[in-house]
Amino acid sequence: MKKVTLLVLSLCVFSCSKTDEINGYQATPLEVVIPENFPQIQYNLDNNPVTQEGFELGKLLFYEGKLSSNDAISCAFCHEQAFAFTHHGHTLSHGVNGGVGFRNAQPIQNMAYQMEFMWDGAASHLDFQPIIPITSELEMGEILSNVINKLKNDAGYQYQFGRAFENGEINSENMLKALSQFMNMMVSSNSKYDKYVRGEDNVQLSNIELDGLANFETNCASCHATDLFTDHTYRNNGLSVNPMLDDKGRYNLFENPDDLYKFRVPSLRNIEVTYPYMHDGRFSTLEAVLEFYNSGGTDNGNVDPSLLRENGTYGITLSNYEKESIIAFLNTLTDHEFLQDDRFSEF
Amino acid sequence: MKITKIAFAIMLCISMISCASDDDASGEDLTGQTGELILKFDNGVGDQDFIFGTTYSKSNNESYKLDNLKYIISNVQLTDDPGNVFTYPTADNVFIVDEANGNNAGEIYVVLENVTAADYVSVSFGVGIDQDRFALGADGQGDFLEYAQDQGMFWSWASGYKFIRFDGTFSSDTMTDEPLNLHMGSVGTSLDNYRAVNLTLPNTVRVREASQPEIHIVADISQAFDGETSVNFMDGYDQVHTDANETPIIANNVMGMFEVHHIHNN
Ligand code: HEC
Ligand code: HEC
Repeated sequence: MKKVTLLVLSLCVFSCSKTDEINGYQATPLEVVIPENFPQIQYNLDNNPVTQEGFELGKLLFYEGKLSSNDAISCAFCHEQAFAFTHHGHTLSHGVNGGVGFRNAQPIQNMAYQMEFMWDGAASHLDFQPIIPITSELEMGEILSNVINKLKNDAGYQYQFGRAFENGEINSENMLKALSQFMNMMVSSNSKYDKYVRGEDNVQLSNIELDGLANFETNCASCHATDLFTDHTYRNNGLSVNPMLDDKGRYNLFENPDDLYKFRVPSLRNIEVTYPYMHDGRFSTLEAVLEFYNSGGTDNGNVDPSLLRENGTYGITLSNYEKESIIAFLNTLTDHEFLQDDRFSEF
Repeated sequence: MKITKIAFAIMLCISMISCASDDDASGEDLTGQTGELILKFDNGVGDQDFIFGTTYSKSNNESYKLDNLKYIISNVQLTDDPGNVFTYPTADNVFIVDEANGNNAGEIYVVLENVTAADYVSVSFGVGIDQDRFALGADGQGDFLEYAQDQGMFWSWASGYKFIRFDGTFSSDTMTDEPLNLHMGSVGTSLDNYRAVNLTLPNTVRVREASQPEIHIVADISQAFDGETSVNFMDGYDQVHTDANETPIIANNVMGMFEVHHIHNN
């Protein structure tokens, strides 16, 4: 069946090639990587199949300052490849006019495997996520129709949209689809750990890394679950509330008291380079994170019950060796191929 | 014997098909005919016409005046007497009804083109965006997203549509002209505030190639506050956005706003 549609499709492409030269529409299919150790993909690729041309357009847009009101802030300004597409060195991200946001920028990796986005899950479809930074006054400060007008006046984009989409139109649908195509291709699944679990290239973990893996499974995997290292739930891990921000997390959405100070359990892939850590970037090292779990969080009224210890405090008791080994294990989640992959870099 | 049975069945099929879609009671042949149909939305407050900046009173001794009033309508469907359902093409089947776009009589036109000619007895539509449409993401939205954003019908902090926008001020026994912002929408699959409205027409609406019939729909916006459930601004309903308790109550109230007042078979 698939073969038949492909055949028909290629026949179409062939027979249409004459007329398509006008706007240059091409659809060279690209495959989104589906690693065998990952949970199920969430993005419905049938609605927006990735093509080489769409991906290239998405990449241009990701690095495009015109998506912001001062034409200077691109997505990549806050999402830098070398740091797994996070805002390197910034606890909180800043955008146009020096406005400082409320949260630490999250890595952009394996988005196709996620069903909700942002620390509180405020974005529930990858296609719509970019509307938040584009329109946020603290980030890019623009509106969609302005962005579209700027792109329409750019001969380069007229050509690129024509190549990537059959109707060739420069509109929000096609812009957002191209961004999603780019982000859907950004799969990070070739860390040392991945190769080890998939039994590739004879990769072995060292003794301390193996101890770390075991300690991680005992102490952390209940929340940082599966090989994405998140169970996709929202939880309160006992961080003290920063009164300057008073970020109530998921509560902001539904005003449900059960959601107070809950944030999405983050994936820990490439964690070595995505510092600083937590939704507000309060910890700059993994040592600080593990010491936080060990010494215990603050009882802010809604801490995850699984963290309650016998002495009544909330935390995860860890020996020095347990901490050290867990960090050694976490460092095996760094995917150098991804961090240096030319397909995703600006130049 | 077998052959006659089959032949009979085929004949029955043919006659059913031809009766159901092509002919109306008078035997008029409508095959292939399409026409235009206008849904005329007319916002009111009880038995008054709605006017921007006018103060209207509600329950709990509270009052309000609005300077912004709009809502999203989608998935318009029409049903004829034998029960055939006409659905407007999905990609185009979403509209923003904005009081500011009204004519002098405060009527907002939603023009449906290429509607299959028939005598329709009921109309249905949804308020907001349903789960299926949201799950499509950008697919098939064309420039509706830009339009919705320009219209202020898309949140900038959460990725979802505002299904309604009632903006203005309210007063109560203790407060005067405090901000009133009734926005309501769904949040992903976690909170579904899409509601379907089914309205029976008082008489059939005849869609034909040469005519321009209108369904005049009155929306009593006071129902949003004093509908199935009465809500008080002083209890927090002055600011409604994505709250999991408040928004379904408003969504149910809004569902009850609409009534077909009359039909023009022009
Ligand atoms: C000014 C800095 C800034 C800019 C510019 C920016 N982002 Fe972000 N991004 C962030 C921050 C901060 C977060 C986390 C926000 C939150 O959770 O509230 C984030 C989160 C995300 C996420 C969610 C990741 C996840 O795991 O849930 C995606 C996807 C994303 N950004 C894509 C983009 C795209 C695409 C653009 C360009 C259109 C962009 N960002 C522009 C700062 C920025
Ligand atoms: C009860 C669930 C839970 C358990 C158990 C848990 N975590 Fe977390 N973890 C979270 C949540 C929720 C966050 C995000 C908190 C925030 O930013 O508000 C988080 C954040 C982190 C971060 C920061 C990630 C980033 O991108 O900023 C690291 C690192 C981390 N956890 C490591 C661990 C380790 C190691 C363990 C085991 C010792 C562990 N966690 C156990 C829920 C948990």
